Amino acid sequence: MGKSWLRDYIIKRLIYAVIIAWGIVTITFVLVRVGPSSPADKYLANMAASGQDVSQITTAIEARYGVDKPIFEQYADYMVNLFQWDWGWSFSTSMPVIDLIKTHWIYSFQLILLSSLFAAFLGILIGIYSAVKQYTKIDYTATFLSFIGISIPNFWLGVMLILLFSVKLGLFKAYYDTTLPLFSLENLKALVLPVITLGTGMLAGYVRYTRSAMLDNLRKGFVTTARAKGLPERTVIGKHAFRNAILPLFTIIMFDLGSIVFGGAYLTEIVFGIPGLGQISFNAIFADDYPVVVAVTLIGTFLILMINLITDVAYTYLDPRIRYD
Amino acid sequence: MRKTRVFTALSLILVMLSSGCTHAEVEQVGGIFVEGQSGGDAETLNWILAADAASFSYVGHTLDTLANYNNQLEIHLLCLAKDVEVSPDGLVYTITIRDDLKWSDGSQVTAEDYVYTLKNLMFSDWLNYPYKNSWQEDVDGDTVFVTPEVVDDTTFTITRQTVDPEFVYIIYDLIPYPKYITTKYEGDVEAFTQAPELNNLTYTGNLGPYKFAEWIRNDRYVVERNPEYYLGKDSGAPYFERYVIKLFGTSATIQAALEAGDITYCGIEPDKVSKFKSLESINVYTVPTASYTLVGYNHRANGWEGLKKTTIRQALSMSIDKQVITDKVYLGFAEPAFSFIPMTSPWYTDEGIAKYGVEVLYDKQKAIELFYQAGYGKKRADGTMEIIDKDDRLLKLILVTTTGGGLAEDIAFLIKQELSDVGIEVELKLVPWETLVRNYLMNKVPGTDQESRYNNGPEAVSDEPWDLVLMGFGTDVLAPSGSGIFFTTEGGLNFFGYFNTEIDKLFKRVRSKEALDKEVRQQIYAEISRILSEEQPVDFLVFRRSNVGFQKNVKGIEPGISMGYNYYLWYFE
Amino acid sequence: MTERLQNIARKIGGPLYSNRRLIEYYWQRTQRNKLAVLGLSFIAFLILLALIGPFFTLDPTLVNFEENNLPPVGFATEESVYNIYTDEFTTTEISGTWKHPLGTDSKGRDMLAMIISGARISLQVGLIATGIAITLGTIIGVLSAYLGGWADNILMRFTDVMMTFPFFLLLVLIVFIFGPSLALIVLVIGITGWTGTARLLRSEALSLRTRDFVTAAKALGASDGRVIFGHLIPNVASLIIVIATLSIPGVILAEAALSFIGLGDPTTTSWGIILNSGQQSLDTAWWIAVEPGIMLFLTVLAFNFLGDGLRDAFDPKSNI
Repeated sequence: MGKSWLRDYIIKRLIYAVIIAWGIVTITFVLVRVGPSSPADKYLANMAASGQDVSQITTAIEARYGVDKPIFEQYADYMVNLFQWDWGWSFSTSMPVIDLIKTHWIYSFQLILLSSLFAAFLGILIGIYSAVKQYTKIDYTATFLSFIGISIPNFWLGVMLILLFSVKLGLFKAYYDTTLPLFSLENLKALVLPVITLGTGMLAGYVRYTRSAMLDNLRKGFVTTARAKGLPERTVIGKHAFRNAILPLFTIIMFDLGSIVFGGAYLTEIVFGIPGLGQISFNAIFADDYPVVVAVTLIGTFLILMINLITDVAYTYLDPRIRYD
Repeated sequence: MRKTRVFTALSLILVMLSSGCTHAEVEQVGGIFVEGQSGGDAETLNWILAADAASFSYVGHTLDTLANYNNQLEIHLLCLAKDVEVSPDGLVYTITIRDDLKWSDGSQVTAEDYVYTLKNLMFSDWLNYPYKNSWQEDVDGDTVFVTPEVVDDTTFTITRQTVDPEFVYIIYDLIPYPKYITTKYEGDVEAFTQAPELNNLTYTGNLGPYKFAEWIRNDRYVVERNPEYYLGKDSGAPYFERYVIKLFGTSATIQAALEAGDITYCGIEPDKVSKFKSLESINVYTVPTASYTLVGYNHRANGWEGLKKTTIRQALSMSIDKQVITDKVYLGFAEPAFSFIPMTSPWYTDEGIAKYGVEVLYDKQKAIELFYQAGYGKKRADGTMEIIDKDDRLLKLILVTTTGGGLAEDIAFLIKQELSDVGIEVELKLVPWETLVRNYLMNKVPGTDQESRYNNGPEAVSDEPWDLVLMGFGTDVLAPSGSGIFFTTEGGLNFFGYFNTEIDKLFKRVRSKEALDKEVRQQIYAEISRILSEEQPVDFLVFRRSNVGFQKNVKGIEPGISMGYNYYLWYFE
Repeated sequence: MTERLQNIARKIGGPLYSNRRLIEYYWQRTQRNKLAVLGLSFIAFLILLALIGPFFTLDPTLVNFEENNLPPVGFATEESVYNIYTDEFTTTEISGTWKHPLGTDSKGRDMLAMIISGARISLQVGLIATGIAITLGTIIGVLSAYLGGWADNILMRFTDVMMTFPFFLLLVLIVFIFGPSLALIVLVIGITGWTGTARLLRSEALSLRTRDFVTAAKALGASDGRVIFGHLIPNVASLIIVIATLSIPGVILAEAALSFIGLGDPTTTSWGIILNSGQQSLDTAWWIAVEPGIMLFLTVLAFNFLGDGLRDAFDPKSNI
């Protein structure tokens, strides 16, 4: 087998991923637990708001949440439990962390998936077209618009879309409705604004990458040869020029996927009230609910690591010349 | 209007159902009632562990209290068979519950369940019920629990050693835990916290108009009609198939959803009331509330020393215009406050009350004069006055309040402006509520290893220095004596550090035998209000009016201070 | 982003500061790119605005509840005040005035003044945080390449961990835990944002390390510090400029996003904070959310235009 080195490589990378993930879990845990705020704070604040004295309650609450023990012990307990697939109890939502994630991951996933598809599909299409029509009005417009797309702050875009399409025109709802069946037109419609919000930046990026990658390739010898052979332009562009642009594009799309999980998706969920993992971890941070914060961070990190690994492995199939040591 | 909206499958059913019985004037079961909220999600349905208002409101749909009161502030019995009887000496309360209350396994809810809940859960050491103070009394310097006792299946008594005429309102709020389930978890706080029955409210039987159906965190809480509801035996109530609490990110989004007809009911911010009142499809009700906003003065050692002087506090209160707050911040949906007792309370009086911040007692010139007389003023060459501290520097005060409060933040800025007109520089500190509590309100005697509390006595100070604090609180209209916690020397929430033996005595008297006489109690409250308005330990700013909007097809609503006390009788037209 | 920057890294080389003619050459190339010039002009305008604007505008902290929620010039809204005793509304028509050309917020603060003071904050955040990140990234990247061996290994593994860390989550976490202050936000963005720079500069420095002039300098007995600061870093200066220009918008956006979700420094009037407060009154006072957003967008756009232009100018292969 020519690719036996690949198996060793994957194993090496997996071990490496586990170590990085462990490092990040530790950093997150320490950050959440060592900070001056305590899970009892919110409780105390609620009690003050309802006019209640709080004598002795801090210790009691910290004991109830298991944060009264020394930090090392908490950390050790947490890690041991995690290895036994016990993700802990979320005290700010009163349910097991694993159940919480099971209920909410889908809302993030559908948003990210649809946004990526929307951005990749349109972005590549416009990018190719723009490259083929280089230096035409269309190309300039596409380039200019892609600059705008990259520069527009996505959370502000979300607010503006709500202002225009929900408040002024009443075409879409300003919030997401979880009662809609997952695979339904209504659900798709409810996701239109969030997908545009999250997808626009990526879309603009893909237009630019595709355009420049295509331009690079169109200048290259093999394209000229193909043209000289009298192949139809469609084949030249599709089969020859674009094929060679796939690899860098693929990397970029995968990289984006990793970074939006916790960047844009986070904000989009908050703007549109989508109860995905971003919003869950956001609320958990405010409640000092460390089992949730750590768990969501861990999942995000692991996703990014896996995406990177898959990208690298897929590389070797897309371009057999590539070899990792 | 917005016709192009796509309805959800569920609300389509709702529309069909409700249009099916458009002209029927009788209450009929049908429809889904959706309440919009933006205050954040509940923490737990295992309510004895909760401290947040949302948790209690969620649970309230499935478990009735013993009683509540209507808009006229008359008692409205729920689980009670008849009103609580109080012995002539005011010490023994006899509670008689209905005999048709059932847990989900069909067994009867008995007095034993209530007494068990009190004795083994609320009063226990292992559970640390956060509101246990309400069930404690001070007997010769010792804090002890009241004594509950089972009489028979439907009767139990609670015996106190001291008289508190307002204790009965605490009893009305009692909710039982099912003894047959809870005994399994007794003593183990972790098991109790994570108990599936308690977290999913599977035991609630016929105790509430609704039964728990679904709770998607940060999104929606759904309860469904309880056909066995004990108050619905004759009437068939409740009339909604489901009651949904839908959470939104901002109040602006909720109001948009109400306008679009996606939700049935929500609160309306002052700036949108006129718009909603003009809408065909919405009914807006303006109701008084018992919540007030106040500026607390720091009387403790880490506050500006001038704040300990009554005239200085009066001068400050005299500089803050309550009418502007009412008109410009609340757009008219508030009224100036001068004590913690709201105007809707039977104990309210304005006799002898000094109305600082309005009319003649809103006078910045006079305020400057008062500062000067107290030794904190200095005349400039041109005859104008500047206000200085004891080190001859221009006076600078720190005002803390919470971030993200919207209107509270506006008031903070307004106060800053008002005081700068007088010549006092105000440094605003906007912090999250949790930080405010931890760093500014909680205090302890420096150099000791005391546990921080809201009031650790006169020597205690908070971690961070502050001079003014802006916040909001609520009073119980029927039992305002609970506010003693803010103003008495021993008061658990007296973070201001205001100590006045006169006030201490009055708050003691209001919870004593003589106060059983309503005349006397009225007088005591009047006296408390008078002293507080004169002394200005804090500056009460306004009592708010709240606005709520309903879709027009909701019938059976009785607008008023206690709106929703009989919400199980609401129905769709 | 990284990929894009890696491409630049490959294309750029040569010391910059020591060669005036080279700077002129690059400047001319940049100038040929109209969008880059546009971007640069806007940034210059913004800097000017931030520096001298506050002398001409009203005090951005001055509240005035008699003139709150005033629309911009040319627009009009209504305000209704309720009278609880008569159950009636008094409705007044309010239209924008030249005293507040961009209107006022819910506290009656002048939007123009707030936006200008917000510009100051955004630029400060952008420049300082990027400065910290680039400095750290350069030092770590170049050091890693220069030292090689296990030091390189440790530094790069650390970079990997930092890179994998969900950046925005980390930001939210730290700012929540230690309280929202502008200094902390800047510091955190700076300290967490160096990873990309470090990687790029490492690979760039690696290729330089073996070049003749470095070998020569070493042979002549130059100290490590002298080699790093005298030879390696000057030779990657142009790359650093491009990275910095392209990083600034991200940093400005990060601060705005934090403020937007309620973790901004509440004592400042940064664009994100104004935007956040405007989100509450989208239907009644749209300008509060729209105006700072437009500024934010234009600023980011300008930096992107400039960064792109610079990159093309430094790229010997590209012909505009």
